[in-house]
Amino acid sequence: MIDDEPAADRQPQAGEKLAGAEAAERIGVSLSTLRRWVALGLFPKHDLSKGWGPSAIAQARSLVKLRERGYSIEQLQEAIDEGRIVGYTDELVGEIVGERFTLKEAAKASGLKAEAIEELIAAIGLPSGAIDDLGSEDVEMFKHFATAVNSGYPRDALLQTVRVYGQAVSKIADAEVRLVHLHVHEPLLRKGVSSERIAEQMGTITEELLPLFSPVIDHLHRRFLNHFVEQDIVGHMETEPGSEIGQVRVAIAFADLAGYTQLTEEVGDEEAAGIVERFVANVSQSLPDEARILKTIGDEVMIVSSDAASLIDWAVGFQILSNERPLPRIGIHCGNVVFRDGDYFGREVNLAARVAARAAAGEVLVTWPVVEMAGKHLEFERIGEVKLKGFSHATELFLADSAGGK
Amino acid sequence: MAIQFDSAEQFRTVIDGVMTLMSEDPEMGPKLRDADVPQRFEFDDMDLVVNARAAREGEQGNLYWEWTDEIDWEPKVKLTMSSEVANRYFQGKENVPVAIARRRIKAGGDVKSALALIPITKPVYGLYRSMLEADYPQLVVK
Repeated sequence: MIDDEPAADRQPQAGEKLAGAEAAERIGVSLSTLRRWVALGLFPKHDLSKGWGPSAIAQARSLVKLRERGYSIEQLQEAIDEGRIVGYTDELVGEIVGERFTLKEAAKASGLKAEAIEELIAAIGLPSGAIDDLGSEDVEMFKHFATAVNSGYPRDALLQTVRVYGQAVSKIADAEVRLVHLHVHEPLLRKGVSSERIAEQMGTITEELLPLFSPVIDHLHRRFLNHFVEQDIVGHMETEPGSEIGQVRVAIAFADLAGYTQLTEEVGDEEAAGIVERFVANVSQSLPDEARILKTIGDEVMIVSSDAASLIDWAVGFQILSNERPLPRIGIHCGNVVFRDGDYFGREVNLAARVAARAAAGEVLVTWPVVEMAGKHLEFERIGEVKLKGFSHATELFLADSAGGK
Repeated sequence: MAIQFDSAEQFRTVIDGVMTLMSEDPEMGPKLRDADVPQRFEFDDMDLVVNARAAREGEQGNLYWEWTDEIDWEPKVKLTMSSEVANRYFQGKENVPVAIARRRIKAGGDVKSALALIPITKPVYGLYRSMLEADYPQLVVK
């Protein structure tokens, strides 16, 4: 879009179809190449008689990527015939045909500086080419960011916020695509279902399910916001005076399955992955309201809680309920940590991880600050001062148990 | 102030109600039946015991329970709690691992099975609260 030239004169609107030459330019191939691909039957599911719609353009872009990776036209034809390349639906692709903006145009339209847009796109983690392919929905998003900046939301906080959005949403999209692939597409291929039937079934799934995802995510976002605002209010009441800005006091637990590596050797990756899935689900389903799983890495779960007392109670109770091998091991520490990009950092987090690494199967190992916060219904056996890897000073560790034992 | 049942009879009627909710719920009932985990609940302040198991062929509903220890099956999970904790538990106000650590619930037998039942029985919280709001509003935990 050039300032003195109305966009509608040269830019197709969303929902419109592009002529061959425009489509070829958008896809990044010559018109003759595109025509050849059509003649070779690389777009069997698309009606191109009235032009190129979003899904056809997206499919062509995927073919360009595959060609760049060295796949021959014959290989692509074979994959399409077998239903391995199913293609897109317009619902899946979204805004690809509508008005396009250069960085400068997007800056002018949104009220943000071009450098700020570049910084935000990098923080979101969009692919590097995204800056050269901005649409009107991107510009709307930049306008929201501009409003946030103008209303006084600090730049650093905004960058962190969008970084978290990018990481979380990309994880969701990745999971959606992979789960459909693993549980729908792959089984259909294995059954030898025809490519037409596969395309039909995949199309039905994307058309019927996709519109549901955004409202669900929006709803969950509000539910979690409500929960964390409540937690924040509690946190304000319990923040110790003198804590540094940007630091929060939390209890951190690391839990994993003792002997998991050996287990993968014994039962194989698939079964071991199933055991981890049940372990993570059990943790997630049983945590008290104040605690949540921050992340999982393999069989390890990192949990944060604003309430150390309920977290230690949960850990002890969880161990009592976990009487089947591989037994979990849990380490808990609490202290001031740096909150950045939706994650918790600092010495205290590292210490919690090291404490967990020292725990044996079935044990809950904790540090003195946790003992101080715990209720009288628990018993703590002093292990002694232990030199933990990476820490210059020894840490006093305690074994937690329910009073009266298990 | 702790919420108290008027009598053991009232408590038994309420727990019969919640068991019926779980047994007849189209989502929970079949899952609990398939899980097939016979449970023994002891409510120590009421001096009551209820044993529940998956319904056998020919029995109505998905669950079968008897208010006695005179049963012809072996409970797999044994949970002991007060009537107040039971009331909180069925309203989703009592976290099981936390309650076990705090000795509000004492667990015995194959306790791992109790952990597996937590997600299955979660839908009962809303149903139980609705039942209380309609028939026993004084038992609703705010």
